[in-house]
Amino acid sequence: MNTTVRALIAEDEAILAQTLAQSLQRLWPELEIVGTAPNGYAAVEQALALRPDILFLDIKMPGKTGMEAAHELTDEWPAHLPFPQIVFVTAYDEYAVDAFEHAAVDYVLKPVSDQRLARTVERLQARLAKPQSAGSELERVLDQLRALVPAQAANAERLSIIRAAVGNQIRMIPIEDVVYFEATDKYVNVVTAEAESLIRTSLRDLIAQLDPAQFWQVHRSLVVNNRAIELAHRDESGKITLKLRGRKENLPVSRVFAHLFRQM
Amino acid sequence: MNTFSPDPPGKIPLPRRLFNDFLALSVVSFVCAAIVTWVIRAGSPYWMNVVFSYCIGGMIMVFIQLGRWLFWRERRPTFWPFMANILAGIVLGYSSGVFLARTVLGMPMEAMRGNFSAEAAGIWVMTFLVGVGATWFFWNRQRVAQLEAQAASERARAEAVEKQALQAQLQLLQTQIEPHMLFNTLANLQGLIALDPPRAQHMLDQLIQYLRATLKASRAGSTTLGGEFTLLEAYLGLMAVRMGSRLQYRLDLPDALRDLPMPPMLLQPLIENAIKHGLEPKVDGGRIDVTARRDGERLSVTVADTGLGMDEHGIARHSEPGTGVGLANIRERLAALHGADGNLTLTANTPSGVIATLTLPSAP
Repeated sequence: MNTTVRALIAEDEAILAQTLAQSLQRLWPELEIVGTAPNGYAAVEQALALRPDILFLDIKMPGKTGMEAAHELTDEWPAHLPFPQIVFVTAYDEYAVDAFEHAAVDYVLKPVSDQRLARTVERLQARLAKPQSAGSELERVLDQLRALVPAQAANAERLSIIRAAVGNQIRMIPIEDVVYFEATDKYVNVVTAEAESLIRTSLRDLIAQLDPAQFWQVHRSLVVNNRAIELAHRDESGKITLKLRGRKENLPVSRVFAHLFRQM
Repeated sequence: MNTFSPDPPGKIPLPRRLFNDFLALSVVSFVCAAIVTWVIRAGSPYWMNVVFSYCIGGMIMVFIQLGRWLFWRERRPTFWPFMANILAGIVLGYSSGVFLARTVLGMPMEAMRGNFSAEAAGIWVMTFLVGVGATWFFWNRQRVAQLEAQAASERARAEAVEKQALQAQLQLLQTQIEPHMLFNTLANLQGLIALDPPRAQHMLDQLIQYLRATLKASRAGSTTLGGEFTLLEAYLGLMAVRMGSRLQYRLDLPDALRDLPMPPMLLQPLIENAIKHGLEPKVDGGRIDVTARRDGERLSVTVADTGLGMDEHGIARHSEPGTGVGLANIRERLAALHGADGNLTLTANTPSGVIATLTLPSAP
């Protein structure tokens, strides 16, 4: 390593951020901690501004979760720069740990033990020592994030009609007429070729009731009926946008979901 | 052996049952034949009496089972009707058994009529006694088995009830000491030991106080308002160390209310909700005010936070799957303890957040 390795810590509890910084300093004296971010927004902002080599992301943070921050960074990260190594930090949470093991992501548990952290440090050093292309780490993180997207239950109850309240009326929308669903602050916007209606649910709950063969999540706030997609356009930076049948607006595709639009 | 017992057949496989019956029949037959030969001295040879005993006993079994099948099928017979069935079985079984034995032995039939000797009367009496005796024996054995089964099921039910109660207590305890909270607190403690030992000491004291109070509350049926506030103070103290300037709090409990009885575990979930759904997910944090007041015969405790709050449907803006259970639990317990007199209301705080108000009846 010819240049100093730089790390950013995103952790809402100040004592824990400081403790992690100290442990890292002890185990890896050459590592430079460039900052600590106290919430999810700051994590994304500071990561983009400081361009660290390593990013420690607490899972449970105000604003955005560590997972959401990582997801957003994969879309916002400049293409010519190597994507940071991500290490998730979490307190006891068996579900998250199972998912992490399954997705082969780096994670440490709070309270952080020095032995465990030392192993993580070794792994990070080994990976950073290897010369890598700008995109390889991004691809690796994308694969991990894809593995962490909750799988749709195969035998879940499927919605066939969306009932959306419009004033005093309930609009009945056959599921095949929906072009896409868009999550807003508290609602999901149901968009058909002719109209838009709001329903009060979360995108996550909705996805569980949709047929995964027809409805694809393409972005953290967008689920698209794949039969309504006319074409997917890839620009020079690799970003994909969707052109839809019957709608004028184009939809962005997150890198995490870009694999859905590779050619056959 | 089930032949004489009123137990419905079917529990033991049929071949096994037939074999058991045959075995019982054989023992009884050999004994009866011996009695007929050497006690009653009927004059016929032992082997012949064995054949008679087998035939009579077998036919009695057949008739009793037949009667049982005709009148009760799978149902459990009652005592006196079943005794009548046995009597009929004995009479019919005896006559047809003698007939069968004579056929088997090639003896003339007319000999059995008009030959009402003392020996024949003796055999009659013996058959009757053996039949009733055997039935009596098996009926009682059946009763004992039935009582034992009843006691066993009673025991099983008592165990199940006890297990449920224990499980409920454990669940209560688990909702109190959430693993996520505990491990985060320990992580902070671990950090503070290196960074700031006096603060670590203080935090450890608070953790001990919190754990002790929680364990005590989860076992006790009732505690005092003062005890509950001590628990809240320890909990908020721990959270304040973790959240730093993002959490401010104030507890207001007039001294006069300190000793009022209070069901445990009603207030803490409200504080936890305020932190979990209100302040922890809010970037800038905020404050919690807990206030206890008495108005005549009603005690009210309000928990006001300035967190993210609820939407217009009364659902936390920041919610995770499985939430809403805590409030439902509180309402259920309130209803169980105080009926319509205890209630919990949630209203919006201004400019943001939630005010939870718990109202209980309280003797002045």
